[in-house]
Amino acid sequence: MTDSGVPDFPTLLRRNGILPEPPPVHAPRGGPLPEGCQTMATTILAFKFAGGVLMAGDRRATSGNLVIYDRADKVLEIDRFSLMAIAGVPATAWEMARMLEHSFQFYRRSQLQEMSMEGKVRALSKLLRDNIGMALQGVGVVVPIFAAYDPAADLSRLYFYDVMGAQFEVADFAASGSGSPSVRAVLQYANAYGSRPMLKMNEEEAVLLALRALDTAAQNDTATGAVDRHGRVYPLVKIVNSKGITTLPDAVLIKAYQRDLQNAKNQPTP
Amino acid sequence: MIEEPYRWVEAIQNRREYIENQLAAGSPIVALSGADGILLVTVSRERQKLFEIYDRIAMGAIGHPGDIERLRMTGIEVAGAEGFTRSAQDVSLRRLVSYSMSPLLKNAFEQIYGPPYLARMLFAELGRNGEPDLLLTLDYDGSYHTNGGALSNAPEPFAVISGKHHSASMMSEFLRKTKISGLSQDERLNVGLDAWTVGHLTLTREEDGVPSAETISAHREEQLKQGAVEAVLLDRHAPSKITYRSLKI
Repeated sequence: MTDSGVPDFPTLLRRNGILPEPPPVHAPRGGPLPEGCQTMATTILAFKFAGGVLMAGDRRATSGNLVIYDRADKVLEIDRFSLMAIAGVPATAWEMARMLEHSFQFYRRSQLQEMSMEGKVRALSKLLRDNIGMALQGVGVVVPIFAAYDPAADLSRLYFYDVMGAQFEVADFAASGSGSPSVRAVLQYANAYGSRPMLKMNEEEAVLLALRALDTAAQNDTATGAVDRHGRVYPLVKIVNSKGITTLPDAVLIKAYQRDLQNAKNQPTP
Repeated sequence: MIEEPYRWVEAIQNRREYIENQLAAGSPIVALSGADGILLVTVSRERQKLFEIYDRIAMGAIGHPGDIERLRMTGIEVAGAEGFTRSAQDVSLRRLVSYSMSPLLKNAFEQIYGPPYLARMLFAELGRNGEPDLLLTLDYDGSYHTNGGALSNAPEPFAVISGKHHSASMMSEFLRKTKISGLSQDERLNVGLDAWTVGHLTLTREEDGVPSAETISAHREEQLKQGAVEAVLLDRHAPSKITYRSLKI
């Protein structure tokens, strides 16, 4: 228990000497880090549609010019109703996700009630703030997106964060990572000029839009992984709503891609 | 005076009597292991008695609410820290009880100038990969008994605690004579409530054996008017790794 009497999971770990205190903040010294010493996870996106919040990410992790891994999971399930997508350094991000998952479970078990939506959003914010020292030195920068179903309001909510831990609730969509300029452009366009706004889209349309946005990012950004049909590596797409979290099976994604390919074939060649 | 060995033994004996008296009114708790998971059942009047400790571990307790709360927190903290530093796979009830809970209770019990824990606990852990379930009862002095778990060739599919030893042994006798394996969840709940009733009846009647079926059903009906059934399932087929689920009765 903390001094205030409210048990808090990070405090418990610190008391047991398991979790180090956040390092003091120093201004960066010397030049940038040597190329290739940090693995980065790249493009993620999330938006609201008629059936909740959809969250998707490509599968590539890079380090400088190298592709380190092409099956990275950047959309992580924190609990039954919360999703977190990560862009930045997986070493830090995956640890943050683990910490969040354990914090929420610990709270639920010890307090005999679910942590509120506000509490969950703040918990991630605090982890990011503890990471500022590292981030300022150019190590372990993480820019996550967080989405969860809020039973109190019967509504799926979506937040993005900056490096320092400020959280911003989003009305329509959020994107992060190196491919995010392309993703933002595609989503913005679809939302404003598409056949209907994202909030009115059904699941099929939403999945298609997410895949197109990631595909566009892969075209424009070398660090974003395109679909590897040969190796059958597809983006990770998850949806959160009042029923919990659904991971879309590859078969559904393949179908969406095939329909898009068919459309492209039917267009006249210049 | 406590330095003399005889006095120490006497003091411990007094303390044991005192604690047994404090626990004597405790409403029984039954755990039944089956194909769909482990069912924990009791009848509660005023406060929750069944709790989640970790992904696959549940606890039921009788005694002083403050002590139960401290022990429950210890269990959650130890399991949570282990699950975070290593993995959820590394959290085990056997280690939780034998390395953390039991020494803690024994120490408090035998430090006769300090307060003991007024609590008696029942723990249940779902077996992994077809291993038998572990059911364990832990007493205020740190002593514990298991149903055998993975060590036994034929682990008993039930465990009970009650305010009095006589009551608990009558419940066990009743359950040994009752068919438990192959029952549906509702049937097991029914058996669990009958066992609870046996325990509740024999709390006040020290000399009686297992009551007749008519006595059980009459007393059960009467008691359920006053209290609510509290039931929990550690679900063997849970969709996520968290298996603890409160049952709406």
